[in-house]
Amino acid sequence: MKRLANLPPRTKRILFSVLLAFLLVFPFLDTGQANIDIAANCAAYAALALGLNIVVGFTGLLDLGYAAFFAIGAYAYGILNSYQLHPAWSNGWAPLAAIGFVAKLGAGAAATVHFTFPFWVMLPVSAVIAAGFGVAFGAPTLRLKGDYLAIVTLGFGEIVPIVVRNWSSLTNGAEGLNGVAPPSVFGHSFGIDSTPYYYVGLGIVLLLLFISQRLKPSRIGRAWMAIREDEIAAGAMGIHTTRLKLLAFAMGAGFAGLTGTFYIAKLQTATPDMFDLPVSIMVLVMIVLGGLGSVWGAIIGAVLLQLLQAWFLPELSAMVQALGNAVHSPFLSNLELTSASELIFGIILVTMMLYRRDGIVPASRNEVRLSFAQQDAAVSRGSLPAVERLSRASAQAAAAGAPAALAVRDLTVKFGGLTALKSVSLDVPAGGIVAVIGPNGSGKSTLFNSITGLVTPSGGSIDFAGHELIGQRPDQILRYGVARTFQNIRLFPNLTVMENVLIGQHTHLKAGPAGIVLGLGGVRAEEREAREFVLELLAMFGNRLIPRIDQGVAQLSYANRRRVEIARALATRPRLLMLDEPTAGMNPAESLELAEQIAGFRDLGLTVLLVEHKLDVVTRLADNVIVLDYGEKLAEGPADVVRRDEAVIEAYIGRGAVNA
Amino acid sequence: MPLTGADAEAAHLILNGALLAIKLANSSGELKGITLEPMVLNNATATAGQYDPAQAATNARKLVGDKKVLANVGPEMSGSGKAMAPILSMADLATITPSSTAPALTDPQFAGEFVPGGKPIYFRTVTTDAYQGPNMANFYAETLKVPSVYVLDDSGAYGVGLADAFAAQAKVKGIKVLGRDRLDPKAADYSAVLTKIKATNAASLYYGGTMQAAVKLVKQSYQIVPDIKKGGGDGILSPEMMTAAGFPAAEGWYATNASPHVVDDPKLASWVALYSKTYGVQPDDYAITSYDAALVAIAAIKAVIKSGKPLTASNVRNAVQTVKINGLQGPISFDKYGDLSTRVVAVFQFKQNKAAPLADMDKQSIYIGVAPQS
Amino acid sequence: MTGSAIFLQQIINGVSLGAVYALLALGFTLVYGILELINFAHFSVFMVGAFVALVVLEAFGLQGQSVVMHGAPLVLVLLVALVVTMVASGALGVAIERYTLRPMRNVKGPMAMITTIGVSYILFNLVLLATNAQAINFPDPMPQASYHVGGVVIRLKEILIWIVSAVLMIGLNLFVKRTKLGKAMRAVAQDAEAARMMGVDVDNVVMIAFFAGSALAGAAGMIFGLYYNFAQYSIGYTAGLRAFTAAVLGGIGNVPGAMLGGIVIGLIETLGSQYIAARWADVIIFSILIGTLVFRPAGLLGMLAPNRS
Repeated sequence: MKRLANLPPRTKRILFSVLLAFLLVFPFLDTGQANIDIAANCAAYAALALGLNIVVGFTGLLDLGYAAFFAIGAYAYGILNSYQLHPAWSNGWAPLAAIGFVAKLGAGAAATVHFTFPFWVMLPVSAVIAAGFGVAFGAPTLRLKGDYLAIVTLGFGEIVPIVVRNWSSLTNGAEGLNGVAPPSVFGHSFGIDSTPYYYVGLGIVLLLLFISQRLKPSRIGRAWMAIREDEIAAGAMGIHTTRLKLLAFAMGAGFAGLTGTFYIAKLQTATPDMFDLPVSIMVLVMIVLGGLGSVWGAIIGAVLLQLLQAWFLPELSAMVQALGNAVHSPFLSNLELTSASELIFGIILVTMMLYRRDGIVPASRNEVRLSFAQQDAAVSRGSLPAVERLSRASAQAAAAGAPAALAVRDLTVKFGGLTALKSVSLDVPAGGIVAVIGPNGSGKSTLFNSITGLVTPSGGSIDFAGHELIGQRPDQILRYGVARTFQNIRLFPNLTVMENVLIGQHTHLKAGPAGIVLGLGGVRAEEREAREFVLELLAMFGNRLIPRIDQGVAQLSYANRRRVEIARALATRPRLLMLDEPTAGMNPAESLELAEQIAGFRDLGLTVLLVEHKLDVVTRLADNVIVLDYGEKLAEGPADVVRRDEAVIEAYIGRGAVNA
Repeated sequence: MPLTGADAEAAHLILNGALLAIKLANSSGELKGITLEPMVLNNATATAGQYDPAQAATNARKLVGDKKVLANVGPEMSGSGKAMAPILSMADLATITPSSTAPALTDPQFAGEFVPGGKPIYFRTVTTDAYQGPNMANFYAETLKVPSVYVLDDSGAYGVGLADAFAAQAKVKGIKVLGRDRLDPKAADYSAVLTKIKATNAASLYYGGTMQAAVKLVKQSYQIVPDIKKGGGDGILSPEMMTAAGFPAAEGWYATNASPHVVDDPKLASWVALYSKTYGVQPDDYAITSYDAALVAIAAIKAVIKSGKPLTASNVRNAVQTVKINGLQGPISFDKYGDLSTRVVAVFQFKQNKAAPLADMDKQSIYIGVAPQS
Repeated sequence: MTGSAIFLQQIINGVSLGAVYALLALGFTLVYGILELINFAHFSVFMVGAFVALVVLEAFGLQGQSVVMHGAPLVLVLLVALVVTMVASGALGVAIERYTLRPMRNVKGPMAMITTIGVSYILFNLVLLATNAQAINFPDPMPQASYHVGGVVIRLKEILIWIVSAVLMIGLNLFVKRTKLGKAMRAVAQDAEAARMMGVDVDNVVMIAFFAGSALAGAAGMIFGLYYNFAQYSIGYTAGLRAFTAAVLGGIGNVPGAMLGGIVIGLIETLGSQYIAARWADVIIFSILIGTLVFRPAGLLGMLAPNRS
């Protein structure tokens, strides 16, 4: 199955057409209504799985109350298309009656309203209602760390069925909705025939599949996956993480709401216990089996589990029982394997997590093998990129008259009782390169984290190009033009080089969900341009990264990962580039090569602040060096001056030498 | 029927009843060359943990899609019935349920929803909760003569409907309904709600629901409100009352059955013996209604054969409507909605019999009589 | 009953219920404090613990309500059952950690949590299949003694629950605060990497935390069985979810917080049932869960470990 994702697009298209043709003629194969009904149920669960896949698979948010949104969509249709509510008739209802959304029952003062909202209207409306609940519920909770979110959704998943059970006037309580009307087309009711439901289900799955496939390789899909891989790095790349998580949550809820309407229209009754926790877990098992984040995996997982429950286990039980009767074994003739299906779910979850985390259809990741020629090729050094776009951005800023200078004043950061930074001040002039050095634990990374909004200082100010940065979110700070790399490299490990660098451009792309799904020309052009820009940036590193552009970054060498991280930071088109130990893990030749490139960034108009241990690199690059020790500024000045400072030698070099 | 999951044990007793009737009919040759072949469908799924309406709907389609299916016996639960009825109705396939007691299914008010085909297809060899609850309320008022009651249910469709019907009739009969609350069947601790009941000084307790909540309710009410009268519906007329709830807690609880109590009837002794010999378990009253349901189907098929009409589901349905037979429980016929014409609700009381096996329903409870009808 | 007697009675009910939640919450808190992992398998360890105790007590010849014991033999039987249950549950917890969670320790995202859901499902369904989904009558060897104080009834069983829970909780608290292992545990909770560098065997600490948490869950299972006189495959989920709410409310990772949270949740449940309605008790509890996480994620007593990011 793993190879399926790597088939050439043409072969994939042919396979898909064959599959689709089979699915379209399936009802005519005359296998019986029950089988078509099972197939329609498979479609409903595949649609649910596609929705949960966006939340859990793409965005990495564990949602254990997913069935609640399924319930909301189901009851939205069920209530608005049955005799459950029957308010007294008044003329205010007349407009709705005119378009067939309600009907008048009885006459005179006893007349009541009968809700007959059409199925086709309710499909999107239910999706919107469920998504609305998703937003209302997600907005306060999505700020929470991922594991808390799981518990909160679990609580929500409990509350909704209880409310449905207890709010009898609206939902008919535990007895469930009676006689929900089936959909109709041009006055032709679907009735009880399974076939039309099957086609509607198939259509829903195709639609949701299409939406998922469009979103995945887009600005939004990449942002979701970035959040999943490393939420902090995602924020530092300008992704408004809360808003994008909310979008994923609402979209998943919308898919579930839509499916709920379909499911209830088909079943024509709804009870609260149809939406309890086991349903949420079952959908989770489906996407884990198929492969988290894998669109086709979600569908295949859903179909497999439905068939397991509705067809395979019962048939197998029947066979075992027949065998038991034949050999007169009461144990075998009473064996009911269907009761074991939840046990099988548990086993699937554990074994998939332990042995095959990618599922049976891994989310497509192209593992491009390099040719021997490429592997053996001599390393070519790239020239500085023709990064006109970069310099253009800087030139615009310069023209606007805003000096892209950083001014830190009296910055103090405390962690509990520990003072990590004590009243530190420093300046990075526009177009300058400033280096911060100091022993481990001296506060260098805390300084970086304060500037980029990952740590909230307890005092002082940080001004960049006229903006106060303290109190701003990381993604807002990035929008002002401050980009960074991390000391311990925070790339998105399961994404490719291309995807990582594309995520750097998040704030410069404008595509919204609707434009992406509709495939608007502007969105496509923007995406093309973004990919070209990535190639231009990577050309800076010669042939080191270009051949590996579709490889997962986890497979790259350490030095190459550093380069990708720098390229990702540059892709944000920053005015201030902050590099945290950029040459760590590189040999001297590579370090010097990178140092030259960093010097080149200045020529493009960038301001650079770096933390660096290698003093030769610092000496070669920095206009000014700041020495931190125990959170305080120990010395400041040109590199060769600082190098001779007694206190610095004592604190940094001397002690470092002793410790080494 | 939910042959797996929480209700599996009861479902198998019912299934056996119907299978026995079919077996006897086939071996007697009364159908003149036709052999009835039972098709058994399980509507429980593990995800639901019990019956699953979606699976019931699939099964209904399986039934109507098979031209050889002339009638259905079942389902056990009303929740399944609601999903199945519209499908069966459109195909004019009769189902005879031995135990599903929700009134809505045959209520003419909901006919448009459950019998869109127009003719009743949902027949019952039991009466409905519309009688089971109220008749028990009559029993509380007339026989137990309690002045007040606190009514609980287990949040399930069956329990809520039964408790509501009981409470309504109790008010009519002048019993003060001091409270009406709902138990979470998954929770373990009902001491809070029982303490609340104790505080109201209620003279009696009525519980609508199944054993899942009842096990805990019975145990804890014995601790907190040991002296008041307690009772429930057919949901607690179960061996779990003794094996899981246990004596002395279960002692004195009343329970009803929506059919006459005939298992003990000497006339049925040979039938009971045959059933236990064939299946290795003692039948309960719903095994009898199930046997009767199968008898109804068989009688209807016989009538169609006799009339010379083609043997179709639709003709069998018409015959079921007019069936008049003597079942194990007594005379059986249906009103124009498909409900049993006789509306007998039997009342039992749990009483420990140390000499008998703990799980033996029949020995661990005594038959009080028929609850007064309104 | 008078209004104040009802109130007091519900307080007593709530504290007994809360003691079970508190014991269960401690296991969540220990594991979360150290691994930042929400362990759903904990639900099922509790349930399995109840069945282990059931089997042990029945091995002593106790069946349902038929045998009532007194004095020293009663204490001895209960003590043996408690020790066996705690050791067996602790071993189960350690096995779960060793074979399913340790391989997941460095895997990012919700993967480890999903694994614990899977483990929980497996245990839950094995018991379901073994017991045919039926509730099982739990031995009840204690005399049905009770004390009446001004309209309020206190049962012997309740006093026993309070004593056992208090001893276990104080014991755990002393263990975490005073012993070397406990200190290592807190060190790992603060910063696993630093603790490792200081020579703490992190694997060992994690194992001890799982053993202690699971043993307490087992004890809670046995107490549950004795108090409610039944065991069923489904008891873990409801109690577990409430215990988790208790842990969050008290401040997850915080040992005294879990105890306080357990009692508070127990009280909310009983008082909510009395003065609002039992049908809304769950909604109230889960609203508290969500509200705490949203408005005061550190809980009532604050978190043991500072928020690491």
